[in-house]
Amino acid sequence: MSLIVGLPALLALLLIGLWAAAALDTAIGRLIVGRPVGMAATDPLRAVVADYLRQRTDTEAPDHLNWLLAPGYYFLLAVVGLALVPFAPDQSLIALDTSVVLWGAAEAVVVVAVFLHGWSPNAPFPLIGAYRYVAIGLPVMLLSMFVLIAASIPAQSLDLRAVVESQRGLWNVIRQPLGLPLFLAVVMSLTLRGPFDYADSADLAGGTSAEDGGPRWIAWQTARAAMLVAACAIAATAFLGGYLGPVLPGWLWLSLKTLAVMVAVVLLTHLVPRMPVAQMLTLIWIVLLPIAFLDLLIAGLGAL
Amino acid sequence: MENTIQILLLTALSLGAVMALQRLGGLSDAPGVTAPQAAPFIGGAAPGTHAWQRFHVRYYTMTLLFVAFEMEMMFMYPWAVVFVEEGIKALVEMGMFLAILTIGIIYGWREGIFAWE
Amino acid sequence: MGMSWARAFAASGPPPVFAAIGAGGLQRAEELHGTLRLQRSPRQAAILLVLGEIAPDLLPFLQRLHDHLPHPRATIWHRATPPGDWTDPVQATADGLERTLTDLWRSILSGDRASEPDFLPDKPPNEWRGVGPHGQGGKGMMGGTPYGRPMAMTDDDLRDGLSLDAYSAPFGPFLPMLPPGLILDLTLQGDVIQSATATRPPCPQPGSDDRPGDAIARLMRVMDMPALALRRTRDGLPPAMGIAMLRRAIPDGLGRARDGTDVRDRLDRWRDKDAPQADDGTRLSDLLPGLEWHEAMIVLNSFQPDRIRAICARSGPEGGDEDDKDGNRDAPAHAPPDHGGHQHHDMTGPAA
Repeated sequence: MSLIVGLPALLALLLIGLWAAAALDTAIGRLIVGRPVGMAATDPLRAVVADYLRQRTDTEAPDHLNWLLAPGYYFLLAVVGLALVPFAPDQSLIALDTSVVLWGAAEAVVVVAVFLHGWSPNAPFPLIGAYRYVAIGLPVMLLSMFVLIAASIPAQSLDLRAVVESQRGLWNVIRQPLGLPLFLAVVMSLTLRGPFDYADSADLAGGTSAEDGGPRWIAWQTARAAMLVAACAIAATAFLGGYLGPVLPGWLWLSLKTLAVMVAVVLLTHLVPRMPVAQMLTLIWIVLLPIAFLDLLIAGLGAL
Repeated sequence: MENTIQILLLTALSLGAVMALQRLGGLSDAPGVTAPQAAPFIGGAAPGTHAWQRFHVRYYTMTLLFVAFEMEMMFMYPWAVVFVEEGIKALVEMGMFLAILTIGIIYGWREGIFAWE
Repeated sequence: MGMSWARAFAASGPPPVFAAIGAGGLQRAEELHGTLRLQRSPRQAAILLVLGEIAPDLLPFLQRLHDHLPHPRATIWHRATPPGDWTDPVQATADGLERTLTDLWRSILSGDRASEPDFLPDKPPNEWRGVGPHGQGGKGMMGGTPYGRPMAMTDDDLRDGLSLDAYSAPFGPFLPMLPPGLILDLTLQGDVIQSATATRPPCPQPGSDDRPGDAIARLMRVMDMPALALRRTRDGLPPAMGIAMLRRAIPDGLGRARDGTDVRDRLDRWRDKDAPQADDGTRLSDLLPGLEWHEAMIVLNSFQPDRIRAICARSGPEGGDEDDKDGNRDAPAHAPPDHGGHQHHDMTGPAA
């Protein structure tokens, strides 16, 4: 589809998604605490404006260029992911017949973006967060690859548009019940959240973003929220039938399903603690990866 | 070709937007960043050395196992497309391949590569 | 007021605050987590909230922390006495804190109150001149102090004996995940602790020991469950489901003290509201060396304030056995005189 129509649509979707992500995070956090939700819809906006009006700090002898670019890399990967999502039959901004492969590549490069963000400030907490994230980010990519390939099997194609069409009879979340739960773990890892937040965590005073002030902080958090929108949209496409649904227009179905995945991710973020890295590494390789194999087997047997 | 141009355009727009967001923001009348402001935050104390170092990467053995699986992905993408045509044969082939890699995981686990050594 | 629309909009939200906690401020900080926007790092804060009395030896650290905040910034003293030479201090009364905070936030955003200047002089921590072929300020690969600091030097690793860089630094005393007031001299290889000494024990927190709900909340916060940490059921603890999840995420046998209890046992005692445990002579050197950073933070947050204070008090740099039982020395007594300066931390670090 042409960029002239597609680009504004993408931008609108992204902005609404960013705002929804921030508002959801605030509102669900308050609900769990047991406080009134209050101005959860506008409080994140106030915080953004306040940070935007504040000084941008630097550290001693940082890697200036990569510090400036790292949020851009992260944001770019999210935008590419969102551009691959079909919002009507045969309609996506980037019409690529190997879109699953491109999304897989984008996921892998997230590790590089997060690492550079932690490396650049030349400060201990960001540096530890950066190195530690690589250890978890890499094997989590494998989970993603397995469940997305499993979703491509019934479509006989690596094109997300075909993956949606293949779900006209039955959504993948029912056909391959292990896929979506595993992909939620991937989303949390891609967006540095809760149990999979080994980069920007509380035990490192904010990890890779511990030295981010003012506009730097906004840029990184925006990119992080954009990645949440993109990864949830991919989840809705690969497992929940994307734009498929009765009565309402396709793009609305896609948005509603994306929102539902986002609610699940935000809830998990708040309710599940993060275990030490060695335990998580063992869990991923010894428990989650075999479950991903099983998911592939179920998908394969189902398609025969 | 059209896809490549679109991706390049998205790249330029995204990087440009995020750089502009950071460059245009901030106080216009703020004083420059001073030396005490630039010192890394470790709770109020001052570090003796720079943070950049020859970092002890504890998981490098795990990354070798990861590379084996990444290579497997190369094989898996085309496999997923032809799976339905090839049927049970494709399933058995991939099962054998994954079984071999699983032996690698078990061996690595026994050797303690997932512990933070 | 000549406030632009954007500034007025920003000022209508809650101010971002970083809390520097002193003696007796911990319990109040726990309450404030529910009402204020407490940030993890001073880089994201506009207002430095000094909570509890700051011993004179901690003042240089407070000043360095203060200088980290981006402009415009301000400081509020709550349940704390500002030192005499602090210019124009803002003090908040017990129930007027939120009011004072919002007023101050408004006035620094509008420019009615000038942003607080740095305390420390604007010069690099060490002399350095761009000698050497890459302007590194010294000769050879490792020499000199580029941009005012030396580089880390190699040392043998505790676990595998690889000789990579050992990073030594004093962490604290105002880190949100460490007991307030504790200055922890750590030598790290990567993210694994090689050696740990407490050059200054945590500040006393009277009355905090019989609040198991707060202790569990601190552990939850370190493991990134900040919302559940704030929720309390009728028995004053966070929800049982959350505690069960937390317990499952903690490895068995982590942080075993000399009395044989590990982190899970101590969590169970809090959950069952058993009396705080007696001191058993545990030292930081029994607990921390060999732990990865996240594990170490879990272990440090698994002790009640008085107990971790006793553990740290006998884990000083001298490391002797002579003050084995004394955990209650007064706060300011222990800091070595060189901690106000930058350049005294030599690169060899404490011997592992």
